[in-house]
Amino acid sequence: MNAMIEADSLNKTFRIAKRRVGMLGGLRSVVNPEIRTVEAVNDLSLHVGQGEMIGLVGPNGAGKSTTIKMLTGILVPTSGTIRVAGLVPTLQRRQLAAHIGAVFGQRTQLWWDLPLIDSLHLLRHLYRVSQERYRHNLQRLSKLLDLDEFLDTPVRQLSLGQRMRGDLAAALLHDPELLYLDEPTIGLDVVAKARIREFLLAMNAEQGTTVLLTTHDMDDIETLCPRMIIIDHGRKLYDGTVSSIRERFGGERTLMVVLNDAEYAEPTYDAKGLPRLQDLPNGVHVVKAEGPRLWLSFKDSKLPSYELVAWLGARYRLRDVAFQEPEIEDTIRRIYEEGLLLSDRINK
Amino acid sequence: MFRFYLAVARTTFRRQVIYRWANLAGLITNIFFGSIFSYVIIALYHVRPLVSGYSVLDTLRYTWLIQSMIMVVTQFSWVELMLTIRTGDVVSDLSKPCDFCWYWFSRELGRALYFLIYRGIPTYIAGALIFGLGVPGSWHSWLAWGLVLPLSALLGIAYRFLYNIAAFWLIEARSLTSLAGVIPLLFSGSYIPIPLLPLWLRNLISWLPFNGFLNLPVQAVLGKLTGGVLWFESGIQLGWLVILVCLARTLTRAATGRVVVQGG
Amino acid sequence: MFNAFAHDLSLYGRLVLMQIRAQAQYKLNLTLDIFCSFAITVLEFIAMLLFFVAFPNVLGWNIGEVALLTSIMSFCFGLAEMAGAGIENFAETIRHGEFDRVLLRPVNVVIQVVGSDFRLRRLGRMFQGLLGFGVALYLLPGLQWTIGKFLALALGIASGMLIFIAILFLGATICFWTIETTELINSLYYGARTMLSYPMTIYDRGLQGFFLFVVPVAFGSYLPTCYILGKTLPFDLPRGLVFASPFAACAFALIAGLIWSFGVRHYQSSGS
Repeated sequence: MNAMIEADSLNKTFRIAKRRVGMLGGLRSVVNPEIRTVEAVNDLSLHVGQGEMIGLVGPNGAGKSTTIKMLTGILVPTSGTIRVAGLVPTLQRRQLAAHIGAVFGQRTQLWWDLPLIDSLHLLRHLYRVSQERYRHNLQRLSKLLDLDEFLDTPVRQLSLGQRMRGDLAAALLHDPELLYLDEPTIGLDVVAKARIREFLLAMNAEQGTTVLLTTHDMDDIETLCPRMIIIDHGRKLYDGTVSSIRERFGGERTLMVVLNDAEYAEPTYDAKGLPRLQDLPNGVHVVKAEGPRLWLSFKDSKLPSYELVAWLGARYRLRDVAFQEPEIEDTIRRIYEEGLLLSDRINK
Repeated sequence: MFRFYLAVARTTFRRQVIYRWANLAGLITNIFFGSIFSYVIIALYHVRPLVSGYSVLDTLRYTWLIQSMIMVVTQFSWVELMLTIRTGDVVSDLSKPCDFCWYWFSRELGRALYFLIYRGIPTYIAGALIFGLGVPGSWHSWLAWGLVLPLSALLGIAYRFLYNIAAFWLIEARSLTSLAGVIPLLFSGSYIPIPLLPLWLRNLISWLPFNGFLNLPVQAVLGKLTGGVLWFESGIQLGWLVILVCLARTLTRAATGRVVVQGG
Repeated sequence: MFNAFAHDLSLYGRLVLMQIRAQAQYKLNLTLDIFCSFAITVLEFIAMLLFFVAFPNVLGWNIGEVALLTSIMSFCFGLAEMAGAGIENFAETIRHGEFDRVLLRPVNVVIQVVGSDFRLRRLGRMFQGLLGFGVALYLLPGLQWTIGKFLALALGIASGMLIFIAILFLGATICFWTIETTELINSLYYGARTMLSYPMTIYDRGLQGFFLFVVPVAFGSYLPTCYILGKTLPFDLPRGLVFASPFAACAFALIAGLIWSFGVRHYQSSGS
């Protein structure tokens, strides 16, 4: 597999001048600024092969956007080397731009007042796509993304889902080898999200497009990305699969169960005011209760989920059962706060 | 109720004080354009030392006084009321227990006072320093000015209130409001000092509402308008003020009616 | 490299056409805007003419001559305003973080910025320039035209337009550091226009030198006008200097361009 992105020991330090208050403050900031340095990205290395689909995960302010900006040539790294598609982003910005497509979830690259088709038409010229290739791509993308119904609608009248599909088409019109997606499913309903994920998988399978995806939505990662990279405080904490993270650090899962009213007689309450269930297996405890609705937390490693359900089912009639996964944000925070991956880094 | 309007004025005043940099930038712009204008005036006066009783010093003072008072009376890009109409916020304003017109007038008076102190005075001082203008007039001309200027400010406020509230009936009125904002500048001495105009035009202008905006107070403080003529022109100014305010109140009533019908 | 340049230019043409189409959609609004812009600039012109009722001339320039100067400046400035509208929006572009997208495209950054807007409503000022020009010709019945004068006029207007656009770029460059001081460049931009609408001789030598040798706006309006009217230039410069206008404009534009690249590099090292 050829390398698409080769980034080594990237560092990005920002020098931010503190703004001083008051009228003279403005003048003083210019003459004698107080500068503090922020290390947005710290010794980060990243190697992505052609055709991979990678999820970039991390809390807000972790350095994800800064990393992507460096990979696209928008920002110059303080130190480190980058080659994307064999080109150096900061030196060959224009050349590289022809190989990249980007979608930023919050901002559109489409022209607001014009129909979608006009934007695509203009982008065709911007990216120098031949008439034939343009027609072919437009047809293909329209089919995959269902664009026909709103190709002639001005972009400002489109719904969020439609606009996102439009932006995806715009980003892929020139057959880029590499696609950056920054929060592409944010704010979308379940159906729209599924549709977009399907589309991305198709693009990756059919065209071999390398995809680098930033997201807070773990479903995105689990559906799309065999490989996940966790970044926090500018450092790469993890580079591997989702399941292995969950196995190692998933922590406690929560099972929500609604017991049958008739059988669930007035229980006794413990010191915390939570109902006491008799003979609960080891490691399982009630964390919340609303009448017959109970939340039980348990460690998957100690007691597999199906066993817990079986145990409950044997004693009570269950009217409803649902599992709640821990938020990946919490997991990541735990990873960082407790230095869970620190030993990994030291060993590397 | 009066206390309420006073509080409104004080709030706008205080809010303006925060925009120090914007004010400084605006001040520099005022001084800059005043200076350019002064150069033109000086060059013009090479050919003829006196026009309608105005020497080059008089005209320079006139120019700088106009520049000082411009923001007090007219703010040609003021579209705040129109914006509340566009966004629909005006509906809640109209249903407040205070008088809509007096509310906006108080707001703008607060702002006018701000511009008098923070823009007007520094502008004239700058002009005086650069071009050696000195302080014009005598104590009665300053007294006259003190009586006329508030009326001028109110006149300017009523005028911009009117072309803003027109947005209730006109849909895309942005460029028209710009034009409406610029017209007083021509007829009130900002583009060309009124005394330099031919007599017939001066007479015509003295009957227009715009005369009372800037030309009247400036001429008053320069001591060029005294006695009968001063009273006469002030009378016209007052008359126009009454007319514009009545028009403003009528339109407000019409607008309120329209809002009730449309349901907000 | 020439290939890329040609591509960028054709793209600029497309961007402008797209802007024009988008604005022409709202015909009533556009017409109203053009009319109001025309009316406002005509009021300024009338005020200028009225000065000459009281004063027969200003330092030897009579009403027709000043009208000629003003109208040439109006037309040239209007042209720059119309084409340079995208640069004026730059503070907003930076504020909304949209400059990143500009860097993501395989197109020259300058072309993208200039091509991002094209304000047809500024035709109003250009029409005023044309009207003023007509009035000036009417007031100067004895004026003879030669091919040289036409050439001087054309070169002057083109150069002036380039210089004003370069000034706008200087203002846009400041936005890379702060978006709060755009007023300063605005003063230079509008101030230069106002000042040079009158004969430069009314200002002191320092200012004259400034507008000839530092920000050479004088090449756009004053020099062509002096050539057409046969007036002497400050500092005893030869009247034929007007034919060097394109060089002055290019030199200034080059310097502005260098400062702009410096600004872009600063953006790329410090983010937004």
